[in-house]
Amino acid sequence: MPSEAGAARVVAVTTARRAGVPGLLWGLVFGVTIAATEQAYFSSFPTEASRRALARSMQGNTGFEAVFGPIQGMDTVAGYTQYKSMFSLVILASIWGLLIATRVSRGEEDNGRWGLFLSGLTTRARAAAQAAVGLGAGLVALWAPTAVIAVASGSTSRVGIGVGDSLFFATAVVAAAAVFMAVGLLVGQLAATRHDANVLGAAVLAASYLIRMAADSDSALTRLRWLSPLGWIEELHPLTNASALPLLPVVVLVAVLVGAAVAVAGRRDLGSSAFPGRDAPRPRTLLLGGQGGLTLRLTRPAILAWTAALGATGVVFGLVAQAAGNALQGSPGLEHVIERLGGKSAGAVAYLGFVFVIAAGIVAIAIAGQVSAIRNEEASGHLDNLLVRPVARWRWLAVRLLVGLGLVVGGSVLVGLAAWLGALSQSADLGLGDLLEAGLNVAPPALFVLGVGALAFGLWPRGAIGVTYGLVVWSFLAETIASVTDSGHWLRSTSPLLHMTPAPAASPDWTAAALLVGLGLTAALAGVAAFGRRDLQGA
Amino acid sequence: MTAIRTENLSKSFGQTKALVALDLEVPEGEVIGYLGPNGSGKTTTIRLLLGLIRATTGKAEIFGVDCQADPVAAHRRVAYVPGEVSLWPSLTGAETLHLLGRVQGTVDAAYRDLLVERFELDVTRRVRSYSKGNRQKLILIAGLMTRADLLLLDEPTSGLDPLMERAFRECIAEARAQGQTVFLSSHILSEVEAVCERVAILRAGRLVESGNLKEMRHLSSLQVEAELDGPVPELSGIPGVSAVQVQGAHISCQVTGSIEPLLAALAGAGVRHLTSREPSLEELFLAHYGGERDA
Repeated sequence: MPSEAGAARVVAVTTARRAGVPGLLWGLVFGVTIAATEQAYFSSFPTEASRRALARSMQGNTGFEAVFGPIQGMDTVAGYTQYKSMFSLVILASIWGLLIATRVSRGEEDNGRWGLFLSGLTTRARAAAQAAVGLGAGLVALWAPTAVIAVASGSTSRVGIGVGDSLFFATAVVAAAAVFMAVGLLVGQLAATRHDANVLGAAVLAASYLIRMAADSDSALTRLRWLSPLGWIEELHPLTNASALPLLPVVVLVAVLVGAAVAVAGRRDLGSSAFPGRDAPRPRTLLLGGQGGLTLRLTRPAILAWTAALGATGVVFGLVAQAAGNALQGSPGLEHVIERLGGKSAGAVAYLGFVFVIAAGIVAIAIAGQVSAIRNEEASGHLDNLLVRPVARWRWLAVRLLVGLGLVVGGSVLVGLAAWLGALSQSADLGLGDLLEAGLNVAPPALFVLGVGALAFGLWPRGAIGVTYGLVVWSFLAETIASVTDSGHWLRSTSPLLHMTPAPAASPDWTAAALLVGLGLTAALAGVAAFGRRDLQGA
Repeated sequence: MTAIRTENLSKSFGQTKALVALDLEVPEGEVIGYLGPNGSGKTTTIRLLLGLIRATTGKAEIFGVDCQADPVAAHRRVAYVPGEVSLWPSLTGAETLHLLGRVQGTVDAAYRDLLVERFELDVTRRVRSYSKGNRQKLILIAGLMTRADLLLLDEPTSGLDPLMERAFRECIAEARAQGQTVFLSSHILSEVEAVCERVAILRAGRLVESGNLKEMRHLSSLQVEAELDGPVPELSGIPGVSAVQVQGAHISCQVTGSIEPLLAALAGAGVRHLTSREPSLEELFLAHYGGERDA
């Protein structure tokens, strides 16, 4: 006979499964990133002199500290690893924590599955508490591979970072995920839809980052750090000046947020919200004249968000280009990387050549999101509403891919333009034409990813999202693994990101770019043809 | 002209045969009921007619157009209403009707407004705030407002209350009066009997019966249940009575044709309570084809 405890456990187990698998995958990515950063330190700065030069040039650079966090002990592998990887991992962990929490709470409520859970032997509050327990399992799944890989890499004789420090570093990163999971749980109870919950959560994350940024930009404002969860995590300094005390407010905040989420869940009606959405807005039919307009309307929020993110990324690249170029001047490691990628320049141009490869990765992630949206349109059954009317399958998919093409080209050029504007504000001598060209240079790998995604959608719709994101993740990992294992050229050649030259540190190789675009286009055409010949497939 | 024609139309999903060698012809202007229990292949047939899935073998035409080879041309004369509707949650009802009307290309705006009024739908609200019944009303209006030559309706009253079911039947009567062809897939026999001239019955992917309702009168048996005061009389020999089940003083059976011989037999035993109703399609299948079910 089913018991109440057993019924409630179903929610926890289901949530743990949904959070555990991606948690494990992201943990692997986090662990490899930490290991790669530690190894890169020795290849980029092989001599004591180069390390001291790096530390001298970076120390006290408030611009860098405001954007990426405090700079400490840059002449040690521990200080370098903390500075180089902690910021990005903490932000990624925060975003993941927020999205997974809103997905398993408000997302489940939006699609009606939460109601099925609540029709069993459980209550709204108990189910919300069990979801929090399931998310806790997701945190463990995130922490374990991060910690194991960090310990394995840190324990090598060359790196020499203590086991305790590596474990604490993994804990610091996962603490960010825990905070924003708890934020996600609460906003999931307050907002009208998962989309609205994500917007609220993103606002909390942005505010936390801005407060932390202000605190790190001026020594007089340091105390502001204690107003931001990201500031508390920064105060942990896991690899340089470790202190567990800031974990206390993290734990208290998570407990308070989860408690509040459970309390709100117990008091509100299913489907209701504290911040109700507008269920009867003024009709807007401007874009609803056909399939193309509908595509624009449905993808507009994602396109605007990615455009803003790419613009901000470009501005940050431009703002720090001159200072970063000076700091890395004479780094044989960076010069080696740029040379291997086909570049020759030094200074700000070399720095931008390096970071524009990262921009190419971000554009590729954005386009993988478009492939995911294409598949979700079919899986949800929304596409049926169009294809039972006089709309050709090839036309529908072609329009969706054209919107993706627009995002890639527009976003890429925007990165270049924004970097130029950022550099201009710092009086860096960088040409608009060169940076626009460098921006356009990041588009071909993403177009290749789009083509492969379309082909996977045509042939294997249920695997399309995994194939596309897998290709993007592999593009990042191939270089990282190759540099760690020194396994040579063949591994790097499997990454589309590494078939672009590091403009503006080198002239774009338009022949290689045309080849990537051509392969992407061929794959996309094959995908469109395959889609026309197969059954529609639900989730 | 023939509205729908299928020849040897089959669909398999792996080892599962969802539809087997369907030969069906529906003349223009006819209202046909397409019956069968859950999983019998009704929705598969409609998705094949719409070109949403590919036929394993055979051919399907709508108004002479091969709907597998050229679905877009076929869809110009078709309106489809599913029973399980999935619409864009962020659009309002009015926006959804605007979009689907523009995509279809033809809309009778006055009729659309009449339908919105008849089904009492608040189209100013977002789809995500609609109940299951309201979403069904919306997709019904979206299909009917086109006045398409062929209405493909797949359990269209799913989630509608009895008043709205009546409104739906009015719409089908109007469609018939307009000369539209209606293909109504359902497992609700009473609904099909109320609006359809002809019926086709599907079971386990095969067409097992097809004809007009007069020809299929033998399916219209009554389900009778009674509580008796006295001992239960022998019923198996009474003309038209079948599927007799006795539990103490409670009996249930099916009656084909006149109910009078059964009533006469029961009267002698003292009837305390008696109900009769049309059997569900599932009960008819159990009565008529139950022995073959696992064959």
